[in-house]
Amino acid sequence: MDNPKILIVDDDPNLRRALKIRLRANHYDTVQASDGYSAISVAQKEQPNLIILDLGLPAGDGFVVLERLRDSDTLSNIPVIVLTARDPQSNEHRTLQAGATAFFQKPADNSELLDVIRATLPVTWSGTALPS
Amino acid sequence: MNNGHTHVLLIEDNPCDADLVRLRLVEGDSAVDLNCVTRLSDGLASMARESPSLVLLDLNLPDSRGADTFRKVLEKAPGVPVVILTGQDDEVLAMKALHQGVQDYLVKGDITSSDLERAMRYAIERQALIRSLEMSRQQQLEFKNQFLSHVSHELRTPLTCIHQFVTILMDGLAGDINPEQRDHLETVLNSVHQLRAMIRDLLEATRAESGKIRIEPRCITIDDLIQQAVSMMAAAAKEKHVGLEVGLDTRIPFVYADPDRVLQVLINLIDNGIKFTPPEGSVMVKACMVEADPNMVYLSVADTGCGIGPEAKALIFERLYQGPNAVDNNRAGLGLGLFIAKELVELHGGRIWVASDIGNGSTFSFTLPLYSLAKFLFPVITYEGRLRDAIVLIKVELTPVSIPPRTNWKDVCQRSLDTLRRCVYLDKDLVLPVRGNTGTSETFFVAASTDLDRVEVMMKRIRGQLEAGAGFKAAGVLKVSATDVPLPSTEDGKPLEELVQAVADRFTETVVLALASNPAESADGHTRAVRN
Repeated sequence: MDNPKILIVDDDPNLRRALKIRLRANHYDTVQASDGYSAISVAQKEQPNLIILDLGLPAGDGFVVLERLRDSDTLSNIPVIVLTARDPQSNEHRTLQAGATAFFQKPADNSELLDVIRATLPVTWSGTALPS
Repeated sequence: MNNGHTHVLLIEDNPCDADLVRLRLVEGDSAVDLNCVTRLSDGLASMARESPSLVLLDLNLPDSRGADTFRKVLEKAPGVPVVILTGQDDEVLAMKALHQGVQDYLVKGDITSSDLERAMRYAIERQALIRSLEMSRQQQLEFKNQFLSHVSHELRTPLTCIHQFVTILMDGLAGDINPEQRDHLETVLNSVHQLRAMIRDLLEATRAESGKIRIEPRCITIDDLIQQAVSMMAAAAKEKHVGLEVGLDTRIPFVYADPDRVLQVLINLIDNGIKFTPPEGSVMVKACMVEADPNMVYLSVADTGCGIGPEAKALIFERLYQGPNAVDNNRAGLGLGLFIAKELVELHGGRIWVASDIGNGSTFSFTLPLYSLAKFLFPVITYEGRLRDAIVLIKVELTPVSIPPRTNWKDVCQRSLDTLRRCVYLDKDLVLPVRGNTGTSETFFVAASTDLDRVEVMMKRIRGQLEAGAGFKAAGVLKVSATDVPLPSTEDGKPLEELVQAVADRFTETVVLALASNPAESADGHTRAVRN
């Protein structure tokens, strides 16, 4: 079986690179997008199993992306984990309301993030042997 | 309607005095519209309809006397300048009024038209000045908030990058590292954690200053929280060879506080204790009851560190205060921790203080209110000085669909609680304070002033509203049930407080029973499932 595929949406190329290394080491494949507009097109093309989404993005911020995902026939079931530098007090509730599964403030603890990714991926993946 | 005239509201019951004021106003040069009423209630009603430019206020009216009169007016319209009219020997009262926000006073009988005109003009000008000062203070605060929020966002982005790559190196994802390299990287990671904590404190302090911190008090056991805080700090204490001990009074009743926030305060105090205590010293965390203050629990964190001098003691809870003699200079923070702790404790209705002598360690103490169900119940289950006719306890159980729950479960529970609070009538129903920390299943209780037959409508409404909440159906299962609460006999003329206490005790009994049974398989003999 293939590895689960995760779409990383963040405008910081360094962070995308770091997340890619971290996820690769945990047997996830990654694809990337650097703005809100390409997030949707990459998601449509790649059909990822999960999306890690930043909120402050050029060309449509994270909330716009969440809305487009929810409105789409083919993408609405993909779970989204928000990973942002923004303040949880004014954003966590809003993102969860907008359909995200979890909210992490940067810098997030790696093991917590990986735990949530594991718990969030659709059940089909839970049987794959993923090292902790 | 602004025609350049000054709109004066005169509240004066004596027709002669009113006429005199009217006469003086006519004699003056200013264009004035005068509206005269004789009762305070009419004056307040008039102010509610339209805000006047100024209020001229006699203090002794048919429906209010003395200081109460100006207090009510100031409370009703804090932005409107008030000039009071006093008698010859009311100097003391007049000064009191000025201290509390009245702009000026005029002694009846001595009023000339130029006195009156000048007093009015200055009162209006001063009030406008106060208003604009307050506005610019608010704007500055708002600006500072936005600025700090922006800065913290910008700082977090590169910090995240450092954090990610340091952990990638430490976890060997870019090849093996030797022990010395690991040691250096650990130092970097510690600095990342410190920087992260500072950014968090910076935002939190700003929020505290502008009153934006929200607390969510619950009915909690303080022992558990202290144990939790101590176990979270054990590693730091061990690393520095500082003993960390706990002294608990097991008789402490439930406390009414936000567990996350109390944990934050405890951790802050323990962290400080460890920071300022030399190796081989100790930090002791205690909770106890004090006879003289039976409604509060007393918590303290005592260290055997360097102690605090009297000048520092006065300043230590101020923003940005820096202790001059941290034992470990590497760990100096921004000086916001104790300021935040003080704000959090005061939000709970408690107080915080420090006792210390140079060289003899310091003890930081704070108080938190005890949970009193009777106090919460009193206003809703009593009516016209007696108990209501029937009271029902509704139990609302939320169970997550999966274990472990989805990551938004805590948020779903919080939103459900907010919805539940909107479902009830504020004057006759009460959503009881929630017990314990957020766990996997949440159980909320509502005290409803109704009987078992009529409660079904309410339960249906609760069920409908909660299940309609965003994300609820995907995350949890809802169960609503009700149980009758037998009321104490009112025949033997017991005081109302005792009756309410008796109801509160029955409630507590029922709640404890309901929580003791496994929520997943409850529906025992004490509850009755909803028929629908």
